[in-house]
Amino acid sequence: MKKISNALWAEFEKIKRSKVLFGTIVVFIFIPLMTSLMMFVARNPELASKLGIVGMKANIFGTSNWLGYFGVLNQLLGSISLIGFGFITTWVFASEHTFKTMKDIIALPINRSLIVLSKFIIISLWSILLSALVFVVGVGMGFVVGIEQWSTAMFIEFTKSYFGATILTLLLAPPIAFIAGYSRGIIAPLGIVIFTVILAQFAGLLGLGPYFPWSIPALYAIGNNIPGMELNTSSYVILVLTFLFSYWATVSWWKRADHH
Amino acid sequence: MNEVINTEGLTKTYKDVNAVSNLSLNVRKGEIYGFLGLNGAGKTTAIRMMLGMINPDRGTVFLNGIKVSSDKTELWREIGYLVEVPYAYPELTVRENLEIIRRLRFLNDSKTVDYVIDKLKLNKYSHRKAKNLSLGNAQRLGLAKALIHNPKILILDEPANGLDPAGIFEIRELLTDLAKNHGVTIFISSHILGEISKFSTRIGIIHDGFLIQEINTQELEKLCEKRLIINTLDQKATKLLLQDKDIKAIDNENGKLLITDKEFIEGPDKIANLLVGNNIALTQLNVIEEDLESYFLRTIKLKD
Repeated sequence: MKKISNALWAEFEKIKRSKVLFGTIVVFIFIPLMTSLMMFVARNPELASKLGIVGMKANIFGTSNWLGYFGVLNQLLGSISLIGFGFITTWVFASEHTFKTMKDIIALPINRSLIVLSKFIIISLWSILLSALVFVVGVGMGFVVGIEQWSTAMFIEFTKSYFGATILTLLLAPPIAFIAGYSRGIIAPLGIVIFTVILAQFAGLLGLGPYFPWSIPALYAIGNNIPGMELNTSSYVILVLTFLFSYWATVSWWKRADHH
Repeated sequence: MNEVINTEGLTKTYKDVNAVSNLSLNVRKGEIYGFLGLNGAGKTTAIRMMLGMINPDRGTVFLNGIKVSSDKTELWREIGYLVEVPYAYPELTVRENLEIIRRLRFLNDSKTVDYVIDKLKLNKYSHRKAKNLSLGNAQRLGLAKALIHNPKILILDEPANGLDPAGIFEIRELLTDLAKNHGVTIFISSHILGEISKFSTRIGIIHDGFLIQEINTQELEKLCEKRLIINTLDQKATKLLLQDKDIKAIDNENGKLLITDKEFIEGPDKIANLLVGNNIALTQLNVIEEDLESYFLRTIKLKD
C-alpha cells in the first residue's frame, strides 16, 4: 500500500507544477461556458438575429430546455473527453521520454507495473476532475441563463449517462499510453488521439459505431435513441477487451522493452 | 561474498552493430572500477544492461549475487546510478526532484534530502527549478539522486561531464571517501584515462564493444612506454653512428631521435659516452614517459 501511495504522490508532484494541468482546467471550463452562452443566444431570438452567424449556430441546439441542454452537454463531453483525456494520457506517459527522466524511475525498489498503475490512477483522477468541472459549470450556467423545464428525474438520468460515458472514455487511455511508450514521444500518441476521433466519426457513418471502441462512450452518452446505433453486450465486451489488452501491453512494454 | 558486480558474456547487438560483445568482468567489494572507452565504445549500453534497462541478447548480470531483471525490484535498494547526461523534471525544483526519488526509494527520513543537498553543495540551488540549472549543477543533482540512499554500489556513467575542475576534484574526493571509508563499490565510466586513473583501483578498457584490457591502476605506470630522447648538433651523423652500433632509433615529428631499448633508458650515460667519444655535441638527452592518454590510444589502436 505504501508503495502505490508513494508512487501516486510522485505522479501528483509531477502534474501539480505543470502548466498542462492549469491549461486543461481552463479549456474544460471555457467549453461549457461557451455552450451555455450559445444556449442563452438560442433562447433569445432577437439577440440571435443581431449576432448573425453566432445566432445561426446557436439554433443547432434545437429545443432550448433542460432536455436539449443535457443532450448538448453529453455530446460535448463525448467529443472533448476523447481528445482531452487522450492529451492527458499522452502527457503523463510521454513526458517521461521528452524530459528523459524514464531512466530515473525504472531501476528503483518499486515495480514498474506500480508506476504504470499510479500513472493511470492519476490520469483517471485528473480526467474525472475535468469531467466534473464541465458538469458543474455546465449545469450551473444552465441555471444562470434560465433554462426551463427542469426535472430531477431527467437530471439523475443525465448524471448517470454523463459520468458513465466518462468512465467508458477512461477505458481508452491505455492504448494511448502504450503508443506513448512504444514511440518514446509525444507526437505519435497525439496523432493516434486525433486519428481515433476521425475514425469514430467514420465508424458512426458506416453503422459500426457500437463495435468501434472509440465510438462507444459517445453513443452511451447520447443514449440508445439512434436507430442502428444501439449499444449491446458485445459493445461493452469490445471496450473492456481493448482496455485489458492495451493495459497489459503497456505494462509489458515498461517491464520488458529496452529503455535507451 | 566478494564479487559485487559480475557480468558473464554480456552481448548486445543493434541490427548489424555489436554494441557490446561477450563482456565478462568482476568488480570486488570496495573497488573503484574505471570503465574506459571512447564515445560509442559500448560503455553506456553495458551500464544500461547492468541496470536492467536494456535486455542483453546473451549473457547475464549479477549485482550482489542477484541476477538482474526488471522484477527484482528489491535489488535496487542498495544501488545508486547515474546514466549519461542527467535530466530532471524541469518544472520542479532541485528539492522537489530529490523528494520524488526519496519517496520512490521509500526513505522515511525526510532529512535525507537536506543531507544530500548539503553533500553535493546544492544548497544555493535547492529552490531553483531544474530547467534553470547549469550543466554542472544538473550533474550534481544527478549525483544527488544516485547518492540519496547511501547505496552500497554506485554505477556512474561519465559523472564528471559538465563539472568544472574544482567540481571534478570534489567528486573524485567524495567517491574515494565512499570507497575507502564506507566500503562502497564504484563502477565508473569515462573516456579520459588521466582522470579515471587518479582514483580507480582497476581499469577496464572497452573498444568496439570488446573488453580489450583490464589493469590494476598501480601497474599502469609500468605499462606506459618510456623513451630516451636524443638531440645533437648533427642528427644525421648520430643516426648513422647508432645504426652502426645496432642501436634502434626512430625519428620523431620534431626531428629528434627516440630509443625504446630498456638498456639505454635505464642507462642513458652509455649513449652520452658514445656520442661524446665520436665528437658529436649533445644538446638534449632525457627519458620521457608516455602519458596515459597516449597509452590508452596506443592500446585501442593495437586492437584495430
